[in-house]
Amino acid sequence: MQPEAGGGGGKPYENNLMRTIRLLLVLVCATSLSGSAQEAGESDAAKAVRVLEGDRVKAQSRNDNHVLDLMFDNALVYIESGKLVTKGDYLLRVKSPKPQTQQIVPEAMTVRTLENTAIVVGTYRETDVKDGKSSSKRWRFVDTWVKKKGSWMLVAAAAVPLSK
Amino acid sequence: MRTHIFVALLACVGTLAGPVPGDADSDAETKILAMQHMWGQAYVSKDPKALERILDDAFVNVDSDGILQTKAEVVAEVNTSTAVQFLTESMVVHLHGNVAIVTGVFEIKGVDRGKPYAQRERFVDTWLYKDGQWVSIAGLVTRLGQ
Repeated sequence: MQPEAGGGGGKPYENNLMRTIRLLLVLVCATSLSGSAQEAGESDAAKAVRVLEGDRVKAQSRNDNHVLDLMFDNALVYIESGKLVTKGDYLLRVKSPKPQTQQIVPEAMTVRTLENTAIVVGTYRETDVKDGKSSSKRWRFVDTWVKKKGSWMLVAAAAVPLSK
Repeated sequence: MRTHIFVALLACVGTLAGPVPGDADSDAETKILAMQHMWGQAYVSKDPKALERILDDAFVNVDSDGILQTKAEVVAEVNTSTAVQFLTESMVVHLHGNVAIVTGVFEIKGVDRGKPYAQRERFVDTWLYKDGQWVSIAGLVTRLGQ
C-alpha cells in the first residue's frame, strides 16, 4: 500500500493535491532561479552545467530516475548528512520516495569551469513536511561535473547544512 | 629543518606526477593519496607552503559549518592550527581521466586553549591534473552522521 503524502492519513485526495501544488511550486522556483541567476560573462560550458543543475532538481522533484541515471556518472559519489552514498543507492531512494513531502528550492550558485571540469558551489533550502509539521534547513553544496564523450556527467556531489 | 625536508618531498611528488595518458591509474592514485596525507600533515606542522602547492589558486572549500573558504583562507587557517595529530582512513580515489575524486574520513586531534579535542569528519576532494601536476580544485568537509 502506497503511503499517503503529507502524512495526514485519511484524506488521500487532499494530500495528493497538496503534493502536486508543492511540486509545481518547486518546479517554478527551480526554473526561475536557473534563468535569473545566470551571470553575463559565463562561458557556454558553465551555462550548460547550470542548465543541468536545474534539470537535476526538476528530475528529482518528479522522481525521474531515468533523467538522473543519464546525468550521473556510474562512479558518482554522493555525500549526504555525513554518509557516503553510491549512484545505485541514490537512485533507489529517489525511486522510493519517503511518505513525507520534501521541497528543494535552489538559491544562488556559481559555476566555474577548468578544462573539462566544472565545480558548482551553491546553496539550497530543503523543507520537509512530516506529520503535518514542516521544518526547513539550508544547505551549501559542491558538485563536480566532468565532460565525458561530449556530455557533462555528475561525478561528485556533497552538501553540508548551514549552521547560521 | 623538518619543514625544508617536507617541502622538498612535496616538490618531488609534484614533479614526479607525469602526464595522465601515459600514467598508470595506480600511479596517479598513489601520488594523489600522498598529497592528501601531506595536506593533513600541513595542519600538524603548520606548514602553509605545503598547501600553497597542493591547492589550485581557484580552490574553494566548504567546511563542516557550511562556510565557503578560498585558498587564501584555508592556507591562513594552517598558521593557527591547533592540531597535533591528523589521521586519514577509508580513502578512495575515483579517477576520471585528468580529474580525480577522493573520499575519505579524517580524524584530527589537538589542544585548543588548553582543552584537548578530537573530531572525525568525512571529506570529498576534487583533483585536476593541470600543468603537469595534480592540484586540488575543490573540497567539502562534513561531520559524520550530520
